[in-house]
This record gives sequence, C-alpha cells and structure tokens, in this order.
Amino acid sequence: MVVRVRVRNAETGATVDMELEMENTVEEIIEGVSAYWEKDPGAYVIRKGRRLLRGQQKVQELDIQSNEELELIPDPEGGKI
Amino acid sequence: MPQSIRPGERDDDRHDRTRRISWVDMEGVQRARVLVVGAGALGNEAVKDLMLFGFRKVDVLDMDTVVRSNLNRCVLFREGDQRSGRGKASLVAERARDLYPEAEVQAIEERVQSLGPVEMQGYDLILGCLDNVAARLHLNANSYHAGVPYVDGGTDGFRGRVQVVMPPLTPCLQCGMNRSHFKVMERRFSCTGQDTVFYRPKMAAEITTTSIIAAVQVREAVKIVSHRPVMEHVMHYDGLAGTSDILSLDIDQGCPNHPAV
Repeated sequence: MVVRVRVRNAETGATVDMELEMENTVEEIIEGVSAYWEKDPGAYVIRKGRRLLRGQQKVQELDIQSNEELELIPDPEGGKI
Repeated sequence: MPQSIRPGERDDDRHDRTRRISWVDMEGVQRARVLVVGAGALGNEAVKDLMLFGFRKVDVLDMDTVVRSNLNRCVLFREGDQRSGRGKASLVAERARDLYPEAEVQAIEERVQSLGPVEMQGYDLILGCLDNVAARLHLNANSYHAGVPYVDGGTDGFRGRVQVVMPPLTPCLQCGMNRSHFKVMERRFSCTGQDTVFYRPKMAAEITTTSIIAAVQVREAVKIVSHRPVMEHVMHYDGLAGTSDILSLDIDQGCPNHPAV
C-alpha cells in the first residue's frame, strides 16, 4: 500500500509530494526531501501537526492520511560559540 | 501590635515586581542550584536572565576563551576580553556577580565530558547552552540518569529551539534525534590518522534569536523550581516568520536513556 503525502520545506515554503510505502521511515523522508531540495548538511526533523516524528518511526505507525502535509524543520545546533 | 510600614519600602525590594507574579516561588528560585553548561551566546544571556530573576546559586561551565566575533551577541563580554586570556566561564561569573552581588556564581573551566551523573546530582536543574550534538548527548544522558531536569537551547541564525527534559517522565533529547543529527556529529570529528580533531563550523548567530531562546530556557527554569507545568516538549522558533510552536514528542522505546520504558 502506498500513501501520498505533501512535505513542506519550513525554510522556503516550497512543497513536494512523496509516495511512501508503509515500511518507509521518517529518516527516509528526511533524507529524500533533503536530497530533492539539495539542503545544506545539517540536522532536520519532521513535524505532523503538533507532533514531532521520531526518525525510526515507520509510516504505518504514523496514522498518516492521504494528502496529509508534513513539514521539514531545521533543528538548530548552535548557541555556544 | 499591627505591623508598621513606611512609604516607598516596596521599591527597596529588588524582587518586588517579580514577587507580584503569583505563581513564582521566589524562595525556590533563590534556593535552586543551577548549572549553566556553555558560556557563549546562550550562556551569556541565560546567566544574565538568571541573575535578574534572582537565582543565587549558579555554576557556569566552559573551557573556551573569548574571540572578538563573540561580541555581537554576548552581553557580558567586553571589548578587550579577547586579549585578556581569561576563560569565558570566569568572565561570565565575574560580570554576573556585578549584576547581582548577592549571587554565588562559580566558574568551572572544564569540558562538559568531565561531568558525570554524580556531579550533576548536586544541581536542581541544568541549562544546556551548547553548540554541538556530541556535547548535548553527553549532558542529556548524564542529567537524565542523575534525575536532574535539563533545559536545552539551540540557535542557527533566526531559528531556535528549546526542549525541556524532566526525567523520568518526558522524552529526552536523544528521543528526538535521527540520522541527520548523527551525520552532523560525525562531520564534526575528523580523523587525521594520528588524532581525532573536533571541527567547529562558523554558524550564523545574532543577538535577537539568542536572547529569545535563552529567555525561554530561563522561564522554563523558573517554572521547574516553582513546581509549575513546563512546556511539552519542544519549542521551535522561526524569527523570520515571527512564529513559535510547541511540539510534542514520544519517548523512543529504543533510546538507551529509557531502559525501563
């Protein structure tokens, strides 16, 4: 079974549609859209509504509806130097 | 005999206006022992806010010295500090005492890896003001095992995040990390064949986001010592859009910091 989602780039507002298998993980979504948008190397997370998704979670665990929107957010690392 | 008062005496109390916030436990604030890890941008702002709020027992850990490019966002550093050879922690502690002479602020000029759970158990809460994943993971794991609340902040340009970790009830930092974080960590360590070098990229940083993120960290610290509910669990701030969102996170059953879950 395939579910189609829309992923929004929080930094640019751009979106891309992705077709996901139930076995795909959140990490694979991050890597897929990061490569598509040629993102700078860095840490990213995915949100679904008010929830942050964990990297190892599979699509089948996420209760994702068809055409639902996810968002790719940079996870800031700095603050000391 | 009724208690007597005199005109203007409330204005002699440094904390009078804070005491007017009914839920703030000022005795808890003044009693709390706080560790601030990192005396750079977030650390400067956090210590400044802790002092003005009335925290009295603060230790500041950092082993770096000041460079001139720190001065665009570090309120407690001064022109010339970069030539003094003094450590950031020592300078922050000294200037914090200027802000609030009743406070006991101690500098610890060591690496974060020098702190284990035993050292952390002496604190009521820890503020993470760091700049890399490896140091965060160390602080996160050890504070979780010590049972000490940990409030982590991070910035990158106009973006920031704050996460509040309340062991053993909430997810920890590692629960929210994924392969992209570990790839970042791997890139920081480059092997020369003889030694491992820690590479620090120059990240975008400015004062407005720094001050907002540090202020949220200190406000969560005030809630913790006042026994108020804290944010659940992560705040993401986007300064360009002018938005912030509190996002919930689940405990990762596979996270090594949650063996009993």
